[in-house]
Amino acid sequence: MYQFVYWVLSFIAVAAPVQNQAAPVQSAQVTPAATYIGEARCIQCHGQENKHFSGTLHAMTFRLHPANPLQSRSCEACHGPGSNHARNATDKTALIGFTKKWGTPVATQNGQCLTCHDGGARMHWAGSNHDRSNLSCADCHNTMQNASANSLLARKNISDTCAQCHREQRADFRKRSHMPLPEGKISCVDCHNPHGSSTRSLLNADSVNDVCYTCHTEKRGPMLWEHAPVRENCVNCHQPHGSNHDKLLVAARPYLCQQCHNLSVGHNSTFYRDGQTAEGALLGGGQSPRIIGRTCQNCHSQIHGSNHPAGARFQR
Amino acid sequence: MKILLQTAVVTLGLSLIVAAPAQAQGSAGQQGTPGNALNPGNSERGVPSDPEGTGIVVGSRSPTGLLTVAPTLEKAASTTASGLRYRAKIEFGASGLSGDEHAAKFREYKDLPSGAYPNNFAVSIEKPKSAFHFDGVGGGVTKNDQYYGFDVGKYNTWRVRGSFSEVPHFFTSTYDSLWSGVGTSTLTLSRLVPGGTTNANTTQAAMQSVIASTSQGDVDLTRQKSRTRVDLTLPSNWKAYASYTRERRDGSRPFGAVFGGGGGGGNLEIPESIDYNTQDVLAGVQFAGTQTNLTVQTTASFFHNDIDTLTFENPLFITTNTIAGVPSTTFTRGQFDLYPNNRAYNVRGEIVQKLPHFLKSRVTGVFAGGQMRQNDALIPPALEPLTGGTINGVSTTGVWNTTNALSQTTADRQIGTRLADVGIVMNPSRDFTVRGKVRYYGTNNESSDYVACNPLTGQWGRLLNNGSGGSFVTPNTAAGNNPPGTLNTGYNGTACNLAATRALGLAPNVGDVPIRSAPYEYSQTNSVVSTDFRLARSSSLEAAFERENFSRPYREREKTWENKVRFAYVNRGFDSGTLRVSYEYGHRRGGDFVAAPLADFYSGSLGPAPVANGTNMTTFVRNVDQLRRFDVADRNQNIFNVRFNHGIGSMLDASVGVQVRDLDYPASEYGSNQQQRLTTPSFELDWQMSATSNAYGFYSLQTGHLQQAGVQTTGTCTIGNSGVVASNFSSLCATASATSPLFPISRTWDVSQKDHNGAGGLGFRYELGRVMTEVAYTYTKGRTGVTYEYDPTALGINATQAALAGNGFSDLLFEQHICEATAVVPIAPRLSLRLLYWYERGKIHDWHYDGIDVNPMPANNGAYLDVGAQSYKTHWFGALFRFDL
Repeated sequence: MYQFVYWVLSFIAVAAPVQNQAAPVQSAQVTPAATYIGEARCIQCHGQENKHFSGTLHAMTFRLHPANPLQSRSCEACHGPGSNHARNATDKTALIGFTKKWGTPVATQNGQCLTCHDGGARMHWAGSNHDRSNLSCADCHNTMQNASANSLLARKNISDTCAQCHREQRADFRKRSHMPLPEGKISCVDCHNPHGSSTRSLLNADSVNDVCYTCHTEKRGPMLWEHAPVRENCVNCHQPHGSNHDKLLVAARPYLCQQCHNLSVGHNSTFYRDGQTAEGALLGGGQSPRIIGRTCQNCHSQIHGSNHPAGARFQR
Repeated sequence: MKILLQTAVVTLGLSLIVAAPAQAQGSAGQQGTPGNALNPGNSERGVPSDPEGTGIVVGSRSPTGLLTVAPTLEKAASTTASGLRYRAKIEFGASGLSGDEHAAKFREYKDLPSGAYPNNFAVSIEKPKSAFHFDGVGGGVTKNDQYYGFDVGKYNTWRVRGSFSEVPHFFTSTYDSLWSGVGTSTLTLSRLVPGGTTNANTTQAAMQSVIASTSQGDVDLTRQKSRTRVDLTLPSNWKAYASYTRERRDGSRPFGAVFGGGGGGGNLEIPESIDYNTQDVLAGVQFAGTQTNLTVQTTASFFHNDIDTLTFENPLFITTNTIAGVPSTTFTRGQFDLYPNNRAYNVRGEIVQKLPHFLKSRVTGVFAGGQMRQNDALIPPALEPLTGGTINGVSTTGVWNTTNALSQTTADRQIGTRLADVGIVMNPSRDFTVRGKVRYYGTNNESSDYVACNPLTGQWGRLLNNGSGGSFVTPNTAAGNNPPGTLNTGYNGTACNLAATRALGLAPNVGDVPIRSAPYEYSQTNSVVSTDFRLARSSSLEAAFERENFSRPYREREKTWENKVRFAYVNRGFDSGTLRVSYEYGHRRGGDFVAAPLADFYSGSLGPAPVANGTNMTTFVRNVDQLRRFDVADRNQNIFNVRFNHGIGSMLDASVGVQVRDLDYPASEYGSNQQQRLTTPSFELDWQMSATSNAYGFYSLQTGHLQQAGVQTTGTCTIGNSGVVASNFSSLCATASATSPLFPISRTWDVSQKDHNGAGGLGFRYELGRVMTEVAYTYTKGRTGVTYEYDPTALGINATQAALAGNGFSDLLFEQHICEATAVVPIAPRLSLRLLYWYERGKIHDWHYDGIDVNPMPANNGAYLDVGAQSYKTHWFGALFRFDL
């Protein structure tokens, strides 16, 4: 492990000078003398770009009902005044660009977007995981075409856009039990706010459980008899994206339950084993309802809490 | 003809506007675009690319360095004489499905059609003069995964959005249902005698016969969710918004029911009926000024369960426990109190204040408060009058089948939530950023103190499983534990007053009977300081320190704290790539670990501990002392992440990522112990061969390992035996050791679970002349091996059992292949034919279900009716015409 870290840090040390050579030293600040030239002038050269841009929400809004004079400038609302660019199209300091090659600093790019999109869902962008990872708005959004049904995403839908980086989660969603994301019935933003939130995992609620209660409102309770790890955090027992086990559980039952329960009485300290399945019972293994089917939940079926007066062990 | 079509489009649009609120009677809360398996994200599929590409720049890349997707050719909008612009399309045709199309795993969240089928449609209308726009979409029409959405408004002024989405959820297609009335509040046996006949063996034979002749069927539910949201742009940078969502869940799912005192009394798999309704309301205002951002929002959520109580007829001949004098055939029915109606409220305020003259700072504050509550009517412990029965000598006749048997008749539960989050981001220079943040989140359990005591009898404890079992405490009547003459009814005269009962000073006979419900709550405070240094123009280094403090009353460890340090490095300076690396180390420790934190909520707290020789103290001991529950245990954590992408040439992207999570519980002898590790390397290639063709491939390999240990109890902890005396029983018996009378370490067992998962995909898109072809193949294979070590002699496992047990189970396995192939053939300028083929193969093995199909009743009073998930292979063909208006 530590050797691996050493190796990677060594790589970074080597890579850093390389990047300095690769990136042209330039200021992406728009030259103060630049002036607005109007989108008609832009389209003279960028007709193909305009062809795809024209169908976007930005184009419609800017052209049909701009909120302010800046929006009415259309292309220059985002790219800044274009006169210097028109004079010298290769001067990368003359215009704000949103591509790798153009090299405008990410902070400048994002600042341009936040001119209109500050506040609301982007209120916590500053300092968020994505901001600290130096992500540009343009990494996830392509405002120049309708690549997605809405939100001007960089890929054809939200999940594909997130999977550009979050490949572990993409693999999780393909596991035996998973949230219905590959089937198109939910997307990452049902649980996360990629633009920042007050939580560490960019959750769109104040706690993990509050996110889960959005769809699993029945589990909100509170119940007459509560199960402590359930009340505190659903991910104590469940993988949020996908799992090799039934019900997105983090481990196979009954061992999942036995990670916490090893009591002096009852059956929860018992060593359960192969041969106690319905098949094993036919061979003399000795069946156990703690191994078969839903195992512990064959009896403790109200494991998320019970409202029955006899429900202290979550059986009713 | 054209006028007719125009009229149809406008009419369809207007009808959607009207229809959407009506559909909103179905649901809640979907944030993203609705879609389904054939139309994920409602994205356009089978649309040809624009051969002219994006424009001047060929091979344009995002700021991170990933290639921009090639744009598609959108059909031009039509315009009416009045200036209304519109565009519409519909895709419809016929499809066929063959193979194991009824397998639950295949249908789990989708509903692929068979027969004539409208796959999707979209309508877009715009009135440039007034900046009015309308968009309507839909798909999966009439199917269980159908969806619809609309978006109407005036740009920058007002906007109304609505969506409706239906999600099927198939749990099993191999369920042997014995009941009629599935999906309702009453399950009635169709062909069996409630309560069984003669004895358990006779009853088992009758049940086996019926199960064998019962056709297997589905257990599933459907979720319908709809949402309407209104956004208004107000003067002076203010906005207001409100939404209403409604969700309905309807169906059933497999569920367990038990009789007697628990294991051994009889267990049965029943279909739990589901009929849930949830309504959410949200409203808020936002202000976005140049220096100040503000949001004030309130939400309310109401959950209603239309099947609050589920009564089912019991076919088993059960074994009763605790109750005497009531034959087991009395228990013909069981009853569940299903999830209660509940509601939740939340109010939150968020503010951002920019301070450009103070180190270019930005201060953020979030404050929220909420409450979850329910006050459902409680149900009686028993369904039957229990005539002629006794519990500890007290008659049960007519004193348990009424809510008068409860200390309170409604649940009266409520939990408050509080959030305060204050942060600052300062930029003292262009190359240096400092951040600080303190976040407090806490829950406050304000529920009433529910006590498990029957006011009609004065007995402390609970009648279990509708009367077929019990868990009660009485004064200890063994000589020497209580004053001579103490009766086992000694607690019964205090009218269920806990303080008065404790004031009696009578030692209880058992220590593990729950007598109160525990009001769990917690608070969490995170304090974070981080800095960013810009090392060079395109690279930066972040260093962060975080302290997390948890407080959990009533848990094994009330206080835990974790220190985390994090380093992250980002280098965007590569010509066409970006490197992101992060490493985090977490060190969690805490206060004293208490093995029995809920002592006050159990019967052991009713009086002093027994002291007499010969008294069995086993129930006064809780978990083995050396067990550490993983969420409060000491933990060392290393998390390492690398993500690197780089262009190879101008039209090929290569990406690699590695994530390693390494957890260690250094102080845990039992429970989750030793090192746990999850490693996920991922690779991806994306090749844009031209503006109209591309190919890609990806693969993620995930390996995981977790280890745990337990110690199986034996014998009893009895005062006077094995060195146990009144003063040492707790420490001696609760501690696993070579000589422990309860937890001898020779009976320790270790279990290891190893995951090995691979997920990959290959695909291409190629346009040959006017024909576009697209193939997408995904593959996943997950395998979990469960192995163990144990001493068969110490655990009393005989040779036959040991031979069957071996050193582990056969691997849990899931393998799936999905291949989607598409060919689009243009027929006319606005008409094309899309041919689709969907191949899906799934292989699943889960040892939990081994043998259930041939042996659904491995014990004479236990029945498993879900045979488990089945492997499957299916083919789906579709020929869909797309018509653009």
